[in-house]
Amino acid sequence: MNPILESQAHLTRRQFFGRSAVGIGTAALAPLLSRDLQSSVGTLSSKLSIRSQELPGISHFVPKAKRVIYLFQNGAPSHVELFDWKLKLKALHGQPVPEEYVKGKRFSTMTGKPQGKLMLAPVEPFQQHGQSGAWVSNFMPHTASISDELCFVKSMHTEAVNHAPAICFFLSGSEIPGRPTLGAWLTYGLGSESENLPSFVVMTSVTKNTTCGQIFYDFYWGSGFLPSKLQGVKFRSIGDPVLYLSNPDGVNRQVRRGQLDDLSQLNQMNLEEFGDPEIATRIAQYEMAFRMQSSVPELTDLSDESPETLDMYGPQVHERGSFAFNCLMARRMAERGVRCVQLMHAGWDQHNSITTELYNQCRDTDQPSAALIKDLKQRGLLDDTLVIWGGEFGRTPFLQGDMKDRKRWGRDHHPYAFTVWMAGGGVRPGITYGASDDLAMNVAENPVHVHDFQATLLHLMGIDHEQLTYKFQGRRFRLTDVHGKIVKPIIA
Amino acid sequence: MLIGFSLLALNLFGKENSPIDFNRDILPIFSDNCFHCHGPDAKARKADLRLDQPEGLLLSSENTPLLIPGNPDSSEIVKRLESKDSDEVMPPPESNRSLTEKQIRTIRLWIEQGAPWQDHWSFKKLTRPNLPEIQNRFLPRNPLDHFILNRLERVGLSFNPEANKEILIRRVSLDLTGLPPTLEELDAFLRDDRPDAYDRLIDRLLLSPRYGERMVWDWLEAARYADSNGYQGDRERTMWPWRDWVIKALNTNQPFDQFTIDQLAGDLVPTARFDQILATGFNRNHMINGEGGRIPEENRMEYVMDMTETVGTVWLGLTLNCCRCHDHKFDPLTRKEYYQLSAFFNQTPINGGGGDPQTAPILTVPGREQKTQLLTLETKIQNLSMEVSTLEKNIPALVALTEISEQELSKPTEKEVRKALAPSPCSRNKDQLNKIAEFFTHKHSVYVNRIRALQNLVNTRNQLNRSIPKVMVMKDRETRRESFILTMGLYNQPEEKVNAGTPSSLPDLPTDRHPDRLSLAQWLVSPDNPLTARVIVNRYWQIFFDEGLVRTPEDFGTQGKRPTHPGLLDFLATEFIRTEWNVKALHRLIVTSTAYRQSSKVSQSLQERDPENELLARGPRARRPSWMLRDQALAASGLISDPIGGPSVMPYQPGGIWREATFGKKTYTQDHGGNLYRRSVYTFWRRIVGPTQFFDVSKRQSCVVKPTRTNSPLHALLTLNETTYVEAARQLAQRTLIHNDSNVERIRFAFRSVTARFPTESEQHILQERLNRLGHHFESNSDAVEHLLQIGESANENNLDPVEHAAYTLLCNLILNLDETLSKQ
Repeated sequence: MNPILESQAHLTRRQFFGRSAVGIGTAALAPLLSRDLQSSVGTLSSKLSIRSQELPGISHFVPKAKRVIYLFQNGAPSHVELFDWKLKLKALHGQPVPEEYVKGKRFSTMTGKPQGKLMLAPVEPFQQHGQSGAWVSNFMPHTASISDELCFVKSMHTEAVNHAPAICFFLSGSEIPGRPTLGAWLTYGLGSESENLPSFVVMTSVTKNTTCGQIFYDFYWGSGFLPSKLQGVKFRSIGDPVLYLSNPDGVNRQVRRGQLDDLSQLNQMNLEEFGDPEIATRIAQYEMAFRMQSSVPELTDLSDESPETLDMYGPQVHERGSFAFNCLMARRMAERGVRCVQLMHAGWDQHNSITTELYNQCRDTDQPSAALIKDLKQRGLLDDTLVIWGGEFGRTPFLQGDMKDRKRWGRDHHPYAFTVWMAGGGVRPGITYGASDDLAMNVAENPVHVHDFQATLLHLMGIDHEQLTYKFQGRRFRLTDVHGKIVKPIIA
Repeated sequence: MLIGFSLLALNLFGKENSPIDFNRDILPIFSDNCFHCHGPDAKARKADLRLDQPEGLLLSSENTPLLIPGNPDSSEIVKRLESKDSDEVMPPPESNRSLTEKQIRTIRLWIEQGAPWQDHWSFKKLTRPNLPEIQNRFLPRNPLDHFILNRLERVGLSFNPEANKEILIRRVSLDLTGLPPTLEELDAFLRDDRPDAYDRLIDRLLLSPRYGERMVWDWLEAARYADSNGYQGDRERTMWPWRDWVIKALNTNQPFDQFTIDQLAGDLVPTARFDQILATGFNRNHMINGEGGRIPEENRMEYVMDMTETVGTVWLGLTLNCCRCHDHKFDPLTRKEYYQLSAFFNQTPINGGGGDPQTAPILTVPGREQKTQLLTLETKIQNLSMEVSTLEKNIPALVALTEISEQELSKPTEKEVRKALAPSPCSRNKDQLNKIAEFFTHKHSVYVNRIRALQNLVNTRNQLNRSIPKVMVMKDRETRRESFILTMGLYNQPEEKVNAGTPSSLPDLPTDRHPDRLSLAQWLVSPDNPLTARVIVNRYWQIFFDEGLVRTPEDFGTQGKRPTHPGLLDFLATEFIRTEWNVKALHRLIVTSTAYRQSSKVSQSLQERDPENELLARGPRARRPSWMLRDQALAASGLISDPIGGPSVMPYQPGGIWREATFGKKTYTQDHGGNLYRRSVYTFWRRIVGPTQFFDVSKRQSCVVKPTRTNSPLHALLTLNETTYVEAARQLAQRTLIHNDSNVERIRFAFRSVTARFPTESEQHILQERLNRLGHHFESNSDAVEHLLQIGESANENNLDPVEHAAYTLLCNLILNLDETLSKQ
């Protein structure tokens, strides 16, 4: 549907419920409401929706992507080790950091002053791949094999040097927790495509036995001052995927249906007496809850996947809570119209484990990430699904640790240049955009700040980042604060 | 939205056709569209033009008037607003701001009427308004109603009839105590046909100890109270004695000005009492970052700014955080003033480091029993210590060891023992005592025996000390720390030095003392402060009517909403001050008003005309907060556990929630017995992964004063399926079966226990039908019966028919999920 028409449709529905919900039969309301309630402003209780802010000025462009899958790599993968190949780094291996590269820069207190640190060449060789000739490390053979689908942005830079603030900055535009996150903004602006599933879903995983996993704070998918209903719904890896999804023991679906039929009828009687349209909303939400009780288990049941598909994601696909499982789930959610899927995988914080744990980290993430791209493509979903892979910053081209102790080699946090890749959803495939300098230390050309990245992402989704605003505490807030330039060259 | 509202006020509500009111109709338009470039922020100001002051409008930079009162056509401002030239039109197209035709017409009308200027309403001095005229003199029960009825009558409306007694007692019991009336309380109220029966009910509720437990919730959200520090590690803290202090202060109706002073500066009050120092825990409830690699000073400044902004929101309703980086864009607050305010909080010895989860300054708060134990132990230690001292004088080897010179000691152990002997016995730690005992073993058995005994006592005392809760509190350093304006709020980028002070747009600080937190607290609750009383009564109004008179309780600035009833707000504020900040008196005033006692039924036409119930032509109706729903279920089922206060508890929670969020570093250890049924306010709050049984609650990460109220399928799943709710249904079913014989009576009992009324005939019929079907179903599904009746840890009565019990459990589960049950009605 044309987004502007779509927004008008929301508005109409909103007015409809604001004015005339009273007295309409539940049966007629339910299908209308369920969709409306998943959408942007109609998401608030109907009373609130009327008093809530006007519809944001969405969709000034035809969207290239309808949904986004963000493979967020918590802990900061090393751009130096994986994607950003530098001959000179190899040449300077073991030499002190040249002063001109780090002058006046702030590093984490673990590094303190970078002066005197020794340069560290990548531990695995790189090769060029595909027609695009992208350099990818041997750490990532599967990603390398799909490099013609990918757009590498090698000139990312950010402001924070510690994990939580930096992740927060990427996902919410602010280092301090409490702002709405990307998925909340997207749902706020675009509403949902799904009648039966939440529009913003989060799944987390961590590499097994890693010593450097970072905690997942729920403000990474919070809705901040946007209606709390827009916050990401965290799918769990143990128990019910959605909290309290299962009926109590001893209550089957028919029994529950019977209860809900009465509940609807009794609530309807109360609606007729009291006239509060909120009651109609409540009826509809209980129906949506009932639908989720079947749509979520159907979503998480992989028995209809072919062996070929499962194989593609690798052996861990069968383990609930693994990155591979979550990648496959992301594809299934994309098929079912979930607007924003945020996968977060922890364990990338290799301060002293480049030569050890980084192998496990790549083993667990490389194949599933590539499989997701291939799978989306073979189902024709890649064109309108934007996939992003990247962390909150990069890692230092110089060594953290003792050069003589190869087993404990590491790299510290590095916000001044790093790499993310994107695919599908209107991004030009098979290109590399921007570059770091000859030691992968600082951005050398076409810098992409986090706010630029966010502006571009919203643009691909059909949203003008300057117009998707929400007024709170007297100020119009937006994801990109007062910054952000769209990176046009990467748009197909 | 402000604009929307003001136009609504003019048009939608019909006959209310008053002249243009600058504050209501004009200021919001300027604030939304002009202040960004022509407002208080000096740095962002364009063309040296400022429209937040009358001088700016009457005189532009070229000394030509921007506006000619009475003559819109010749006014430059109108030309600019109406211009079609993209270089000339204001606001400029690239600002993404624009005025509607209606707004421009409003501005024209205002200029036509002489363009009268007013200061922003909330900064104006508080004066007690006269009661407005009303026609129907029989309707008001107290002065509040005059203000509301006056507005209603102006638009041709009036109050709804009073809600019936059943609805009223349920509404006000939940509002004042967070718990529904018991059937006995309900019957007593229904039987009481004295004219002041309702007032007696309010007397009882205001005296209930449950009152403090209910009112504290909103304060805890404002104070960002939690049981852990947040961030990586998320270590546990014990701030709950502070929480209990608040409950007590609310129950004893501590006047709000004292309540304020104790919490912000109780430590600085001359001869501060223990509980006043405890009260200052308020501003130590912020998150603490213990993440490796963080710079302590950066953390410390973050905490100082958090304290400043929290106070700004809670007492002043100001969005101070904007001024971290620049002058406020909309309100008369400068960046310098922000740092002057934060200077009050910049004097503590807090160092910003992580380390111990309870960072200094701390107050140890032993319970009564712990106090006694501690005293006993200390006495024993003292006595034994004297005994040891005497012994030590009579052991020549020992005396020699302490008296000979350092050089003469040959063995390192001798040196260590000598060191260990230096302090008086009662001050030695357990390691020192251990060294001494080991050194003298086999030589002086009597002495060693005494030393070992002392060591045991010290050990026990240390253990006891560790178990005593420690509350982080406020304190000022001996030497004052200098404060600076910080570029972008960055700790390491100081600019100009500033002294503690309050914004110049508000009354002055008293000059008789050096400005410190105490003077700030006194300034906040001085009767001259135009904001505090307005902000506080507004939040109390919000508790009872679900929305404040100002619907942006967090923002009383020009970007906030205007009060729906400005006279009423000022009346309440002045009344609050007049009664010496008597909170319970204020609550009584609100809940005894005709406005509050109205039925919440709404006709279709009124719903269309006033969907947000701004006019208050009907009583409040909204979904109850999730924590109250849980308490209600516990109370209706009889499960609820009574004690007030104490350490936070861990009720049911699905397995693995903490482990999943923390990679197994934290494991939730669920409590058993009574702790499962404590009121929600006592539930342990881990910041990085909060309790799962609540929704629409603050994350407890920063100050929140406006509750959110959404309507989501996830809420339905919780109240239908969560263990507490199912167990409550099972226990309510059990009570129902025990206390009643016939199904008719039982259905009536269960329904009434939850909703405080009997079901209608058709409701009874629907429930009876459902009961029959559930009975049939469970008769042939004994496994299901067994499973259902085992949910939750409380026991079942042995002599109940399980099939019947199961059927009633699901019937009660249904009743607990009625919209009426979930809502204030």
